[in-house]
Formats: sequence, structure tokens, C-alpha cells
Amino acid sequence: MRLFWELTKRSFQRYMTYRAAAIAGLVTNLFFGLLRVAILLALYGERQEVEGYTVAGIITYTVLTQAVIAYLSMFGWYDLMNSVYSGDVGSDLLKPMSYFRFWLAQDLGRALVNFLLRGVAIMAIYALIFDLVYPQTAGQFLALLISISLSWLISFAWRFLINLAAFWTPNATGIGRFGYMLSLFFSGFLMPLRFLPDWVQTMANFTPFPHLLNTVVDVYLGILTGEALLLALLTQAVWAVGLVVIGQLVLRTAVKRLVILGG
Amino acid sequence: MLHTLSIYRRLIGVQLRSQMQYRFAFLMDVIAAAIVTLLEFGSLALVFERFDNIKGWTLGEVAFLYGLVEFSFSLMDMIFSGFDPQRFGREIRRGTFDQMLLRPVNITMQVLGMEFVLRRLGRMALGAAIFMLALSQTDIVWTVAKLLYLPIVVFSMVCFFGGLFIIGATITFWTIESIEVMNILTYGGSFLISHPMHIYGDWMRRFFTYIVPAIFLNYYPALYFLDKPDPFNFPFFAPFLSPLVGLMFLGTALAFWRFGRKHYQSTGT
Repeated sequence: MRLFWELTKRSFQRYMTYRAAAIAGLVTNLFFGLLRVAILLALYGERQEVEGYTVAGIITYTVLTQAVIAYLSMFGWYDLMNSVYSGDVGSDLLKPMSYFRFWLAQDLGRALVNFLLRGVAIMAIYALIFDLVYPQTAGQFLALLISISLSWLISFAWRFLINLAAFWTPNATGIGRFGYMLSLFFSGFLMPLRFLPDWVQTMANFTPFPHLLNTVVDVYLGILTGEALLLALLTQAVWAVGLVVIGQLVLRTAVKRLVILGG
Repeated sequence: MLHTLSIYRRLIGVQLRSQMQYRFAFLMDVIAAAIVTLLEFGSLALVFERFDNIKGWTLGEVAFLYGLVEFSFSLMDMIFSGFDPQRFGREIRRGTFDQMLLRPVNITMQVLGMEFVLRRLGRMALGAAIFMLALSQTDIVWTVAKLLYLPIVVFSMVCFFGGLFIIGATITFWTIESIEVMNILTYGGSFLISHPMHIYGDWMRRFFTYIVPAIFLNYYPALYFLDKPDPFNFPFFAPFLSPLVGLMFLGTALAFWRFGRKHYQSTGT
């Protein structure tokens, strides 16, 4: 356990050094966020509220989507895949720690850094430009904390699974790109899921992806309350556990297949 | 000149053959690229069921802008991939650019021939499909002039964004890594002009009218094709400025590229 936290700490320190890259990322977040806000507000037209999202709410939604990009590596994460292709996986598997927890610890460090440098930072910047919505009660904050932690776990488990494709094919980046786009779409990143037709929402609910972003935002904005809130958090937890278990099972098969080219 | 062009053709041929070696992986890449664009546009198209229009523009009209940009941008991306700042920056860091300078072939041709990402065809096809959707959803009155102008609009965008790529690549002579501002202008800029310009705030719109005149690449030609009124009351010839903007940008970019090459000091790798 101690090893886990040491790894996380070191990963955190490592990612903290990329401050210049973080600033560059923030500028991109700002630009694209402004575009997306403009598009959504233009769609709203005279409407003050759509599907529970007020004008301030939908702006906050957009800001939150930008804030989680880095935190959840929404546009793709290929480190594990690359370590397989480079052969590093050989020494990684020999380490005195479960392969899954090895990567989990590192990702936690990365996620925490991005949460601060890209997540909180972009929210602070946007708060200067727009009137945002904030959680009101202590209960909401607690629910938000749980939701955002579970969304990270789901994100990691999914990225872990995708990267395991590298054990089967020498060109898993295509699979990666496709998998990440799928999760991006069904997470509600491009458009809030409630705005999409019912059949799309039904499809989305068969995947864990709404729980990466859409659920978190709905908890944040207070759209989910009471029983609906508890159900959502429970569903998130079930998906998280499920994906972790599937990841472990696939990993066991993957390792059996592993062929490392010498050198 | 002919010699240079034949070298370019050979280099591209090598690129294409090597990419086609792994047929299945290549096909997967093309399809993945197409699906990515499909989902992006799809999410916009699907919400039109609920919202009906975006500041007065219908889905078909937005698709006109969107499809045109997707097609032109991915065509540019395919041709100019050698100048993709991320790709080019790698050559600078590794010092392989120096090797290219030593060869008895025009350096610009070499860089262009360095990379030709055929899988962009996926995005191009989707762009064309979205444009077809636009044609089916709008009542464009086609004239000979419009038919002749359409490929010019595509050409102008290829020149414009190609110019941005070249500028971004030249900057890596000094910065080694591609800079974020260029990424914003290229990818952000193309995303921006995929939607009608009048939805954006004044600051944003004015920047992309007077400083980076992207508004003339796509929006103004669209006003002409779709016979829509101009909300900003620009002179009557505004829709026809696209080739001017495109070529001017490309020209400036190439001049900057020449300047960068003259003053290039290698990383010494």
C-alpha cells in the first residue's frame, strides 16, 4: 500500500514539472470553450432553459467539459500501449506490484496534477468571464467528490482496457482513437446527453461513458437530487467496479500472449 | 522544375506504398478517422432536432460550412503533412532536417514529400458526405459562376491552412516544439469557421475578420452560394476574397519559411 502512494507521489511530482505545457493547454481550453459556449448559446436563442440547463448552467457545463479533458485524458492516453511496443512492459511485469495497480498509481498522480493545473485553473479563468453556477449545499459537494472520483476510476479502467489491445495487435493506436472518440461522444462532451434524441441516450446508458462527464456535471449543477442522485452514484460505482474487474481478466489473458522481441 | 516535381511524385509514391503495406490497419485508420468526424458532426446534427436552427441558420446551411471546411482541411492536411508543426518539429529535434538540407533537391519539395497521410481520405469522404447533405437540405440556385467558384473556395482554404502549417513549422526552427497558438489557429480556426460566424461574440469575430481573415474563406462564400443577406454589410465583393486571402497567406508563409531557412541554426544533434 505504501508502495502505491509512493508511486502516486512521484508521478504527481513528475507531472507537476510540465507547467509550461499546462499553460498552453489552458489557452486551448479557453479558446475551444468560448467557441462551444457561443454555439450552445446560439442554439438556445431566446430560450432561458432547456432540459433543466439554464443559460448559466449550460455555460458551466461547457466549462466543466473543458476542465475534465486533461483530468480524464479524454482525448486519449497511450502510455501503456507504448510501453508494450517499446518492450518496457517486460520489466514492468517483473515489478513487485500488480501491473494494474502500478499504472493506477501513476495515473492517480497525473490526474491530481491535471485536476489542479488544468481543471481548477480553467474554472477560475472562466469564472472571471462568465457567471457560473456552483454547488450550493455540503451534500452536493460530498456527492460531487464521490462522483468525480468514480469518474476518474471509470476513465482509468477504460483507458487501461483499450491500451491492453497492444498485447494483441502491433497497431492498436487506431483502436485507441476509435475507443476514445466513442467514450468522448457518449460522455456528453460534444453535446449534453439530454439534448440528444432518446435513442442516443438509451444507447449511451448501455455504456459507462455518461458517467465520465454527464453524470458528474448533473451532480454539480444540482440537476440530480435525492433518489435520482443516489441511483446515479450507485450506477457509477457499479460501472467502475465492473470495468476494473474486466480489466484484470483481460490482463491475465493478455500477459499469457505476450511476446517480447529481444533487445 | 520538372525534375523537382518528379522527385516529389516519387517521394509521395513511397509514402503511399508504405502506408498501403498494412492494408487492414490502413483501412481501420481511414474508417476510424471517418467515424470520428461523423460523431463530431452527428452530435451537432442530432441536437437540431430539438433546437431547429442556430441563429437563423438551418442544419443544411451549417452542413454547407461544416462539410466544406472538413473536406478542404483534410485535403490540406494530406498534402502539407510534412509541414505539420508536430511532425516537422520532430525532424528539427532529431537533426534529420540538416540531412535534408544537404541533399541536391529543393528542400520545400522534400518536406512536402516527407509525409503524405493518406488516411485523411476518411475525413475527406465524410466532409464530402456532409456537403452532399447540405446540398440536399438547401435550395441552392446553381449558376455557372457558382460551380466555377466552388473549387476555388476549396483551393483557397487549402492554401490558407497550408500556410498556417508552414508558419507553424518555421517557428519550430526557434522553438523546437510546435507552439500552442498555432494549434489554436489551425484546429481552432477550422472548427470556428465550420459554424456561421455571426454566432460568435464581437471580439472573436473581429479577430477572425481583420487579423486572421478566416471569415472570407468560408462564411462569405457561403452567403453567396446560399443567397443569404450579409449581417455585417460588407462590400459586395466580400464573398470573392477567399482566393486572395488564401494565396496571400500562403505567400507570406513561404516568405517566412525562406527567412527561417536562411537563419537556421541546427540543434547540433
